[in-house]
Amino acid sequence: MPLLTIATFLPILAGLALMALPKQTARIAHQISIAATGAVFLITLAIWARGIVPDGFAQIEEFTWIPAIGAAYRLGLDGLSLPLVLLTALLFLLSAIYSARISDRAPSFVVLMLMLETAALGTFMALDGLLFYVFFEVSLVGMYFMIAGWGYEERQKAALMFFIYTLLGSLPLLLAIIGLYLGSGSFDMRVWIDAPPLTGLAAMLALIAMLFTFAVKIPAFPVHTWLPAAHVQAPTAGSVILAGVMLKFGTYGLVRFAFQMTPEAFAQAGQVILAFGVVSALYGAFAALAQTDLKKMIAYTSVNHMGYVVMGVAVAALASDPRMRTIALDGATLQMVSHGLVTGALFFLVGMVQDRAHSRNMADFGGLLTRLPWLGWAFILSAFASLGLPGLAHFPAEFQVFLATLNAAPWAIIAILAIVVTAALYLRAIAAVFLGEANPKWADLPDLDRREKLVIVPLLVLTVLVGVAPGWLIGLIHTTMTGLGI
Amino acid sequence: MLNDLSLLAPELLLAAAAMLMIVAEMARASRLVLAIGILALAASTMLTFAVLKADTTVFGGTYRIDTIAGWAKLILLPGTALALLMARAEIAGRDREGSVYSLIVLVTLGALMLSGAGDMMVLVIGVVLTGLGSFALVAYPRDDAATEAGMKYLVFGAVTGSVMIYGLTFWFGGSGSTLFSELGQLSGQTLLSIAGLIAVIVGLGYKASLVPFHFWAPDAYDGAPVSVAAYLSVITKAAAFFAFAQVLRDLPREGGWPLALALISAVTMTYGYLAALVQTNLVRLIAYSSVAQSGYILMGVVALGVSLVATPAILVFAAAYVAMNLGAFAIVMVAGRSLESLQGFGRTRPWLGGAMVVFLLSLTGIPPLFGFVGKLYLFMAAIEAGYLWLAVIGILNSVLALGVYLRMVVPMYRSADSAAAGPVGLSLAAVLALTAAATLGLGALAGFLLP
Repeated sequence: MPLLTIATFLPILAGLALMALPKQTARIAHQISIAATGAVFLITLAIWARGIVPDGFAQIEEFTWIPAIGAAYRLGLDGLSLPLVLLTALLFLLSAIYSARISDRAPSFVVLMLMLETAALGTFMALDGLLFYVFFEVSLVGMYFMIAGWGYEERQKAALMFFIYTLLGSLPLLLAIIGLYLGSGSFDMRVWIDAPPLTGLAAMLALIAMLFTFAVKIPAFPVHTWLPAAHVQAPTAGSVILAGVMLKFGTYGLVRFAFQMTPEAFAQAGQVILAFGVVSALYGAFAALAQTDLKKMIAYTSVNHMGYVVMGVAVAALASDPRMRTIALDGATLQMVSHGLVTGALFFLVGMVQDRAHSRNMADFGGLLTRLPWLGWAFILSAFASLGLPGLAHFPAEFQVFLATLNAAPWAIIAILAIVVTAALYLRAIAAVFLGEANPKWADLPDLDRREKLVIVPLLVLTVLVGVAPGWLIGLIHTTMTGLGI
Repeated sequence: MLNDLSLLAPELLLAAAAMLMIVAEMARASRLVLAIGILALAASTMLTFAVLKADTTVFGGTYRIDTIAGWAKLILLPGTALALLMARAEIAGRDREGSVYSLIVLVTLGALMLSGAGDMMVLVIGVVLTGLGSFALVAYPRDDAATEAGMKYLVFGAVTGSVMIYGLTFWFGGSGSTLFSELGQLSGQTLLSIAGLIAVIVGLGYKASLVPFHFWAPDAYDGAPVSVAAYLSVITKAAAFFAFAQVLRDLPREGGWPLALALISAVTMTYGYLAALVQTNLVRLIAYSSVAQSGYILMGVVALGVSLVATPAILVFAAAYVAMNLGAFAIVMVAGRSLESLQGFGRTRPWLGGAMVVFLLSLTGIPPLFGFVGKLYLFMAAIEAGYLWLAVIGILNSVLALGVYLRMVVPMYRSADSAAAGPVGLSLAAVLALTAAATLGLGALAGFLLP
């Protein structure tokens, strides 16, 4: 059974089926959406159960597409993509469940979300450069319409900015892909990885093009400016997908393309890339500290956390000790997954606060913990995870990244300062919103209902599980990192 | 000789049909005129499949039956049929309706000659045949705007056409032959070939609306009926690029013409989008955007003779361009000519709005739509020919393009206050369905169709 293809296209087919229905009510739309994303999640579990090999790609599904230029439909998995595929399927299922409250043009919303899921799964599984680019770009269109159609006050502007930034960002990648094709005569990513086709100046140009693309997507300083606006204006499910899934396109691409396909140039530029990672991590933390809007604050912590991922990949290229390289890459990948879980939860929770109070401003709140214990404790747990508390998801990831950094490029350890800043900003947010004197204005707010608990609990459980026993996830990731030939 | 004629079956059939249409128009049987036109175009397309694999010439090398000419027919003939349906939707019941249909078919015959030209004389006939018919089509409404547009088009066309013929004489003098296949002998006679080349660039560049020969395009499109603007913007333009390919592929890559064309390409795409950014008239906006698209397709011409992808790139992009530009113009026919008329259009008419989004995203070059595949091939051709900088400019312009096309998409999904769009007749619905299906589907399938 071509499970990868089925998982990838099931969502969009469900979306088309919904469009074809003569009578599209919000109820039916959400039922289809939950059924489809649920089915996809189960299929990805089956894919996981089939396993991957320790060296290279597994579960390949392939047929010719454009024989004249050696492009084909190729899907496959390794330890880098499989965790991200699982994360994607989970976050989309939870978003579908959470979004079932949307009644305004629900069918269109659901179709866009299902289209996004196809694009996201395809991006992580594609093994053909052209196919990767197609999925990568389709996601933009879906997200543009989602923000523009269902976002908050400034949605049009934010959506436009998002679209222009990321389209401009992704076009250099197209040049790099064409360059890799002209260098090898094929669009097969496995060929590009096994025998990097470009050398010297061409490789460096391709690397710069790719770095530009992925830096915008990650987003890394200084091309991160689209992110806060898009996050703040997007509907809750949009923010979760954007932060949990789509930012990972950038870091995934950084490893899959830049690191693997132009390895020599990447190693040469390693210190510079590392510097961008460090600056992103620090800048993201300090910028988050300056925010009063909860959603914006979390958006900036994404810049910070993705900065650690960039650091991990850069350090992997710089490290001379192969063990350290593996540790750095394991850490970076683990950070991608845990960021999806933790930030996904945080965006859901802020969305829940906003639904109730119609405000995201920290100063408006106070003492919510006594009134909304579920929401409060869930936020506190996620916030502690986000600031890197041992025993929660981010810690094992960041620990590995910093360990490798200390080993390979000790100067970059200054980024650890960001953890202190993050701790400060989360503690401040928790104090302002959940502790202290209760604001009587919010006396009637209800706590999480059943559906909201259903969305948030799995994320919290996984956050703890990854934090306490990261071994199973690292083991899964590790199978490829040794297969990367390093 | 007889074999020659059988290879020309699609052209001959179309010529006969055009005559028949004029006769039928004399009887003012406009429905009959239309029916003959559509049937002839369909039959001619079918006949093309029989000669598609051929790679030969007829009449002593003056007319080519090759990959370019064959695929050009498969692009231009169905495109013309769609344009006829659009014209029907726009001018049904008006005076002299049938003459528009017959002129369109006649101009398409000229377009086929351009795409198959192997000789200077055939090229000239193609230019004149497409030109004369087009002037009349633009002036068809006979109001002030249309007459002025037609005059502008005519005068500009006459000047550029004459310059081209004048320049071709230099090539004739240098190579001693009117055949393009003999242009290789020009090697060394740089001055003559430069003069000839400049003249051809002027003549065909005018047809293709390349900067700086593009002035007529927005005015002519704006004065003409929308369906005629749609037709001119795709069919005669695509034919001009096929003619470029026929002429230049035989020319030695010396004298700097690839570089000159690359510069024109860069300027054309940039200028087209910049000008489109400030338009409020929808027809003029699309007119300038199609000037920019001409700049893109010229990238394929630049790479001729070096890159194997160059010819497929021109063909694929032309096919995509015909589908998406016709579709966008068809939406303009429904929505109205001003940018405000798109306000809320996507909300009140979700299906039409969706189709417009597909056309515009395809024009921007978003995958997996047909326009993306075309652009991808063009970029590949340019890079393979060593014009990385041109591909980079093309890519930067894609961002300008986004600005241009989002100017249309964004208001479509704002509040639904106005949008008093007219009804969509059967023929226009067919055009929209076919162009949208092509734009959506052929992108993924393009790979299987390629020569």
